[in-house]
Amino acid sequence: MEVVLMDILGAVVTFLVAFVVGMTYGGLSRKITARVQNRKGPPFYQNFIDAFKLGSKKSAIHHGVMHHFGPAFLMVSSVMTLMIVPVLTHNQWFPNLNFQGDLIFLLYVMTFGPLGMALGAGQTGNPNSAIGVTRGLSQMVGFEIPWVLALVALMIQYHTTSITGLMAAQAHSGTWLMFSSPFAFVAAVMAMFGMFRYSPFDIVGAPTELASGPISENGGKYLFVMMSSGSVFTFAKLTLYVDLFMGGADNLLILLIKTFALYLIPVLYGVTTPRYRTEQAVRWFWGWPSFFGLLAILQAVFF
Amino acid sequence: MEMIHIIFLVFLGGAVLTYFAGKISKVLQDILFLLSVLVPASLFFTYVKIADSVTLPLGGIKLSWGLNHFSWLFSLIVLGLGSMAAIYAVGYMKGRERKGYFYFNFILSIMAMMGILLSLDLISFFIFWEIMTWSSYLMTVYSGNDIQRIGIKYFVFSAIGAYAMLMAIVMVHHMTGSFMIGSMINFYPNMSLSMQIWIPVLFLMALGVKAAMMPLHVWAPDAYSNAPMAYTAVFSGALSKMGVYGMVIVLVTMINQIPQGVWFREVIAWLGGITAVLGTLWAIKQDDAKKLLAYSSVAQLGYIITGIAIGTELGMLAGLFLAVMHALFKGTLFMVTGAVEKQTGTTNFTEVTGLIRKMPWTFFAALFAIIALAGIPPLGGFVGKWMLYEALITSNHYLLVIVIFFSSTAAFLYCYKFLFGFFLGQEEKEWAHVKEAPATMVVPMVLMAVMMFVLGTFPGIILKPINSGLVDLGYIDTFKHLWNSSVILNVWGDNVILQPILYYIIAIFVFFVVFLT
Repeated sequence: MEVVLMDILGAVVTFLVAFVVGMTYGGLSRKITARVQNRKGPPFYQNFIDAFKLGSKKSAIHHGVMHHFGPAFLMVSSVMTLMIVPVLTHNQWFPNLNFQGDLIFLLYVMTFGPLGMALGAGQTGNPNSAIGVTRGLSQMVGFEIPWVLALVALMIQYHTTSITGLMAAQAHSGTWLMFSSPFAFVAAVMAMFGMFRYSPFDIVGAPTELASGPISENGGKYLFVMMSSGSVFTFAKLTLYVDLFMGGADNLLILLIKTFALYLIPVLYGVTTPRYRTEQAVRWFWGWPSFFGLLAILQAVFF
Repeated sequence: MEMIHIIFLVFLGGAVLTYFAGKISKVLQDILFLLSVLVPASLFFTYVKIADSVTLPLGGIKLSWGLNHFSWLFSLIVLGLGSMAAIYAVGYMKGRERKGYFYFNFILSIMAMMGILLSLDLISFFIFWEIMTWSSYLMTVYSGNDIQRIGIKYFVFSAIGAYAMLMAIVMVHHMTGSFMIGSMINFYPNMSLSMQIWIPVLFLMALGVKAAMMPLHVWAPDAYSNAPMAYTAVFSGALSKMGVYGMVIVLVTMINQIPQGVWFREVIAWLGGITAVLGTLWAIKQDDAKKLLAYSSVAQLGYIITGIAIGTELGMLAGLFLAVMHALFKGTLFMVTGAVEKQTGTTNFTEVTGLIRKMPWTFFAALFAIIALAGIPPLGGFVGKWMLYEALITSNHYLLVIVIFFSSTAAFLYCYKFLFGFFLGQEEKEWAHVKEAPATMVVPMVLMAVMMFVLGTFPGIILKPINSGLVDLGYIDTFKHLWNSSVILNVWGDNVILQPILYYIIAIFVFFVVFLT
């Protein structure tokens, strides 16, 4: 019983850390974008203010059951991803609830959220939502290819399909996978641009023309849950990349340094690149990123 | 008289009686129809034991029928889905014309599929194969605008397949002097190399037609979408599995025995992969639910074919588990389409919208089936997909795994389209009058949705008979090595424990739903 309670407590702590870190990163990205564009920008804690304002509001209208479930589906996906990814190596406070962190399971859990969210957005009947969802799903088909190529390359190179197995391989050899499987790392990072949906891949939300796409018609608590889910997901994804390619992290400080360094890549690439249309985005993902993915597989098979 | 004889007699007599009962009373016809599907099904599962066999002398040839673990697994698909579809069909056919014609062919199809599964000799296999083709052909041309073209297309392909099979049967008889499947398998290693290649190729042509394998799939989208939906559930869910059933036997007992078999299997696996990708891409383009599901069936059969063509234990488990799951979710989806068609009169996404409030139970079934189709945990589709990927990766099919993954990610697009098109979106006044489908249609759908949910957490329920079937075919026992009641493993020792996943998902989901309310 005590073990179960500790697990649940650990899960809650993990969730809170992910929430705070993700929110802060979101705020910092707004600050960075502003500084690049020569604006002052909001303070880094602006996202917390937004979130708590939204969280304290009540919704007056109700779009139906599926719309109500949408954000919950999104949250299930983010929290499950977080639970599978080992946050810190050798630390009892951040257990990964022992799913062995299977990568294929992870791939599917990560898609669970967008699909559930899409269903929720569908019920609102807002045409902007439907357009946004279609674009989002198409873009997903785009970036999943290099991402899966990279993961398959890692799996066949190290004969394991679990995150813990890949971390053990790194600990055993002493080199990070980003150096021993550089092509997989490049492909995965390029796929990450699509996952974060920052510019140039932000056509899904497209605030100016689509009124933020799938999340239009959502406010108050719904938007709050979506925002928190986004933050948790950001943290989970970055931690996953650190686990896979940068040997994991022993303590929270190292984890923050590594994740923030990774996080800067999509943010900085985003602020300097204009938006792609959906088909351009898909073509982009099936170009160089997939090429690097194929190189990664060749490397895994022949070396 | 043995129980297997009685079962076939009930099917056959039931079909004839049901047909003529329509002249007396519609209700009597419905009852007779249900009895002539459900009674043999329950007789089969209670009285017929594994390794039972019977013979029937027929004009100088002794036909022999028997049951093993492998055919029992497929009988489960046929009779399980058949019973569900039969209950559904009573509601679906209410008020339609030519009910007798429909019921007659429905029962004959189920009987023919059982006959195929129980056949131990090639003659009865061929006879039942032809009965199945005929009855499904008659269903395909039951109604619709373009039935001549569609019917001829289906029939020509089936005929090509059937003649190929007949040729193989004649050749086998010439060489062995016997029509028994067992003696054909025993004699296979002694055949000349060209025969060793021709016999399986000819069989695979016949089986590939029914399994809608590229390039023999051409008939499938039209035939699936044109047959009445209550029948298409069986057509796509169970009848196409007869092709898979035969393919497994041909692959395992023949092609695996010769050194050139590796290339054979590789080609079939790639054909399956290409079928999956093209089927998915076509499905995305469709605006009609029937067409969309028909193409999606083609794609899903591609996964199954790939799984069984790889031929490793995990690949076989994956292919057969997906076959069971496909029967469940595609059966449900065709039933959902039928329900929408019955209540609104159309299956076009551009016309129907916003039915979620009017048909909540149908939506519930559709949602579960779509989640299972997309392979998202915690539903059963995930288990099959996971096993398929792991099988491909651990058996060094690196490019094929990408192809399959692409197809299953792209499938999200049509999955979403199906749910969004019918059930979500703006509610329009035109559909304000729509009511939930009658109980006889809703209950089978919901039961099947619940089954998908259960299989997602306890796949062992189905993996156990699959494993027994594979052991019958000469595979090693994989219990605890690749699967457990709620754990799935790969050959590298990585695993997914499904039970806690379900609990966590439910816990998180409930917490946030409550938080939002």
